[in-house]
Amino acid sequence: MKGNKIIIPIAIVLLFAITGFMALDFFGAFDKPNENPYEYNLDTFKEVKQQDISHQEVQQIPVEIEALRAIAVDKDDYIYVSGNNKLIKYDKTGKLVLEVETSMEAFCMTISEKGKLYLGSRKEIQVYTLSLDLMDTWKIHAENAILTSVAVNKQNIFLADAANKIVYRYNLQGEFLNEIGRKDPNQGIDGFVIPSPYFDVAIGRDGELWAVNSGRHQLESYQDDGQLISSWKKSSMGVDGFSGCCNPSHIAILANASFVTSEKGIERIKITSPTGEFLSVVAPPKAFDLGTKGIDLAVDSEDRIIAIDPKRKQIRIFTKLEE
Amino acid sequence: MSKDEKNKDLSRRDFLQKGFRLTAALSLGGLGIFLAKDASSEDGLWQIDPSKCVQCGRCATHCVVTPSAVKCLHVFDMCGYCDLCGGYFRPEAKQLHTGAENQLCPTGAIKRNFVEDPFFQYEIIDELCIGCGKCVAGCDAFGNGSLQLQVSHDICVNCNQCAIATNCPADAFERVPSSKKNISKGFSGGEDV
Repeated sequence: MKGNKIIIPIAIVLLFAITGFMALDFFGAFDKPNENPYEYNLDTFKEVKQQDISHQEVQQIPVEIEALRAIAVDKDDYIYVSGNNKLIKYDKTGKLVLEVETSMEAFCMTISEKGKLYLGSRKEIQVYTLSLDLMDTWKIHAENAILTSVAVNKQNIFLADAANKIVYRYNLQGEFLNEIGRKDPNQGIDGFVIPSPYFDVAIGRDGELWAVNSGRHQLESYQDDGQLISSWKKSSMGVDGFSGCCNPSHIAILANASFVTSEKGIERIKITSPTGEFLSVVAPPKAFDLGTKGIDLAVDSEDRIIAIDPKRKQIRIFTKLEE
Repeated sequence: MSKDEKNKDLSRRDFLQKGFRLTAALSLGGLGIFLAKDASSEDGLWQIDPSKCVQCGRCATHCVVTPSAVKCLHVFDMCGYCDLCGGYFRPEAKQLHTGAENQLCPTGAIKRNFVEDPFFQYEIIDELCIGCGKCVAGCDAFGNGSLQLQVSHDICVNCNQCAIATNCPADAFERVPSSKKNISKGFSGGEDV
């Protein structure tokens, strides 16, 4: 009898506890109607440690261009942006200087040391003065091309064709000279893998060509004649590498030859050493709206990093944090 | 009553008669158009506009058919044939091979076939696909968006009030004519695929 006196209260408490748990479980499940059991969550990969962030955003310049795609900076730090049918020039403080209609859907832009602005659409190059006067127009030789990047050194113009997955070298008069990057195992050239229309090229500090082999998460440098000089790659979902089908989408080069890279998927801007070691984060994913793509980059004489944000239609300027 | 007043009376009567006839004709015509439109909408099919879809997962959980009549459709002409496919591999996949631990799809409904270095083709196994859209989100985030959710009309029972459409947070469901079964975004630009 004494045993029953203890067991019955315990059984009652247990019964209430089990009933409560079941009720909580049953009704709790209905309290989350918006929960997605199949959610594709990248939040953990978007976290960046504060100590990895090297830059701060100091200015945003709104830009009235449909399909903002290209940015370049001249030696006097004037900023040029383009997209559909418009080319705009700002001074380094963001003040509008000039604006012209271009009658082209610009995909890429660069400025040569001699002060000529090269604006590229799918198959055409327009050459402008820095006062935005049109000097010359020429079509490229390749069929079905989609030019996504242009770079100019002292003697050559390099054009990245994302459709044919090749870089073309032209002279400054617009005559085609040779292709760069076609697959050639004997020369150690893997061939470009470009799954999406982001294929960037830039000129290194020694005048060499750097091309992004985004499908391989690889950067490759070439001589003018197409000889491979060097390459580095880093695939990783972490902050130290590149992820997804094809990243980085854009690059720029700092005065110390380090690379500034921008990515899509996990939207961010980073700096890596000339040989590919991760150095720091300029802008973490939380600085961008979800789904931001096509963050073209430029660097000015003070190593300010200047990016376009096509989703917000802005020029965004980042400077190094004080030590 | 003068002759003029009599003519005036007659024309008023004529006017009223013509007015009634016109109103009746318009009403009948309107009713006909309404009925024809109603009949044609019954002939329509439910479909998802991929440009509105947010991959909320409700296509997998709210369809009256099990597994869901919504399936992933692969628009091959948009695909980059990537080795590291965001729609196939989990973000934290350690290796790029077909091990189940690397796959994003909860039911293993995507088949990966080697084409040539470094390209792979991805094929949806409809019988296994539950329409959760996880691969669509992965492809959208990192790739070209060639994986898209579409209603499979072989399976859909074409409810008058689609349970998924009612719960779709992006209003991505719409009625399409039966002659145009699919809506795809991208290179095919809304053509049937």
